[in-house]
Amino acid sequence: MRKLLVIEDGNEYEEFARLFLSDSFEIRAAHSAAEALALLAEAPADGLLVDLRFDRSVESDLVGDIEETAERLFAGERTSAIRYLRDNQGTLALAALREAGYDQPAVFVHDFTPRRLANLRRLYGDVRAVPSFDAGSIRQALEEEG
Amino acid sequence: MWQRRDAGAFRAWKSIDPASPEGREARDLLAAADVHYRQGIELFEGGDARASREALSAGAGIAPIDPALYLPLAQVYRERGLDESAAKYYHKLIAALPDSEHARTAREQLDQLGPGLGELFDPPAESRAESASLADPLPLSLIVVGAALLVATLLFLFRRRLAPGTSLRKLIEQSPELHSAIAYLIGSLRHELLKHRVGAVSDVLSGLGSRRASLDQLAFLSDRLYGGVPLIDAWAAHLSAFTRALGHRLNLQRDREFRNAGRAIQAIIALQPQLARYDPKALDRLARAHRQLKGFDKHLARLQSRLVRTAVDDALLDQVIDEVRGEYAVSSVALDQLDRDPVDEVVQIEVPRVDLVLILKNILRNAIMAVARDEGDRRVLISTRVDLEPTGEEVVRLSVRDSGSRALTTETIQARDVGSGLGLVTTAIKRYGGAIEVRPASNGYTKEVTVNFFRVFEDED
Repeated sequence: MRKLLVIEDGNEYEEFARLFLSDSFEIRAAHSAAEALALLAEAPADGLLVDLRFDRSVESDLVGDIEETAERLFAGERTSAIRYLRDNQGTLALAALREAGYDQPAVFVHDFTPRRLANLRRLYGDVRAVPSFDAGSIRQALEEEG
Repeated sequence: MWQRRDAGAFRAWKSIDPASPEGREARDLLAAADVHYRQGIELFEGGDARASREALSAGAGIAPIDPALYLPLAQVYRERGLDESAAKYYHKLIAALPDSEHARTAREQLDQLGPGLGELFDPPAESRAESASLADPLPLSLIVVGAALLVATLLFLFRRRLAPGTSLRKLIEQSPELHSAIAYLIGSLRHELLKHRVGAVSDVLSGLGSRRASLDQLAFLSDRLYGGVPLIDAWAAHLSAFTRALGHRLNLQRDREFRNAGRAIQAIIALQPQLARYDPKALDRLARAHRQLKGFDKHLARLQSRLVRTAVDDALLDQVIDEVRGEYAVSSVALDQLDRDPVDEVVQIEVPRVDLVLILKNILRNAIMAVARDEGDRRVLISTRVDLEPTGEEVVRLSVRDSGSRALTTETIQARDVGSGLGLVTTAIKRYGGAIEVRPASNGYTKEVTVNFFRVFEDED
């Protein structure tokens, strides 16, 4: 059976995957980039299902340098930087995985604009997106050949 | 008036033309109150009398009770052995809806109560005769009471409609300075409530329609709609966030789409007991409420696409340069160079053009007046750049470089110490979610003041 790694801050994606995708995928879940790296080091995965926003993550779990982001994008405003890192944490977690050499297809449940999806593909290779929690579309996105 | 438990109040509210704004509002309020009344009855049934009283009071604070609810209320009293109270509510129901199926049930159940209770609360013979002759012309006193109820109701509803504030749609048209906040609020509502809770149950609902949903999937649906923070509280929290951020200028009651979405959420809440019994009609109603909320999500997406956008192009930079050059103080400064780099790619940002021009003019004017104090080379250059972020987003950087020797730092600008207006510009930039910074520059320039805004992607890009 194919292996799917879910990366999210809560457990909503995992619950959804276990209900609708467990007939085709063996499912594991990570709640931070660090945990995802650890799980992938233990056993490989064939695909990644990644949440975009990590609203509930604590600062120490976030990928991304808060001070540097504040300096570069928000004229030093730390609060804005933390919010930005949380809002986009899924992409940054994917960046960490790619940097570590993991190149599985990554599926986001988000209605990215075509331009932003193209940017993510430019940065991280095999990135796919479905606009809503539609099990058929998510399954198709995970299973289609890259 | 309706708070005196006059059963006629409910009828009066329902009688307002549903096609009128007052009629629609009356129905909204009745629906909102109904949720509390039903919760109150359920809580009472579960033995939590205090919470039940609170829920029933909350309902009474919104709108009158549907007399049909006297039946389940009476039944709960009966189940708890409080026969006298049960009889009281059976009689209230019979008096309010004498010809209904509910009244027939009430009469049957009343007969089964302890001896004497049926008769004890039976209306006297002449009163029964009155109730039986409801089809006859109404006595003048009843007409007067009914009219007074209607007027009171209309006044109440008019007061609500006259409350200050405008709809979100109009606020978007009128107040571009709020667009950045509105974009965030809409984004959060769509993500947290409409995507993760409502949107996530689409597959289970489809499965239920074709009888393919498993027990686990039903549990998932129940958890998303009825578990954790109650859906109605999550909805209320989002509405409060809108009000907190946008203040008295916003009145979401004026948005038909928000009212309908609120109604759909209330419908979902009210369906919980029926869904627990797998009532097929309840499943249909749930699917309908779900479709309404999906439609609401699309409406919000359309609102997001209407937020103000300005193209950063050559024409914009030329306008900034021309207008600053035309100013009296600037025109007297002899410059060795005032130029701009061509814009490589036209991009859009969520700032009204008039404000963007003012921001850039302030920065450019400040740079020119800074080099005017120097004897040496007096050079100013305006340019744009778009940087790709690791998140896939893009940041548009609008920069003004100058050769002036006067020191300037980001901190100075943010502390509003700059007499020439950059401190005030900072406030405008922050209002649109942007940032300003000062960095050292090269190639004959000493410093670079840069304004950053996130690029807005066009869907058709």
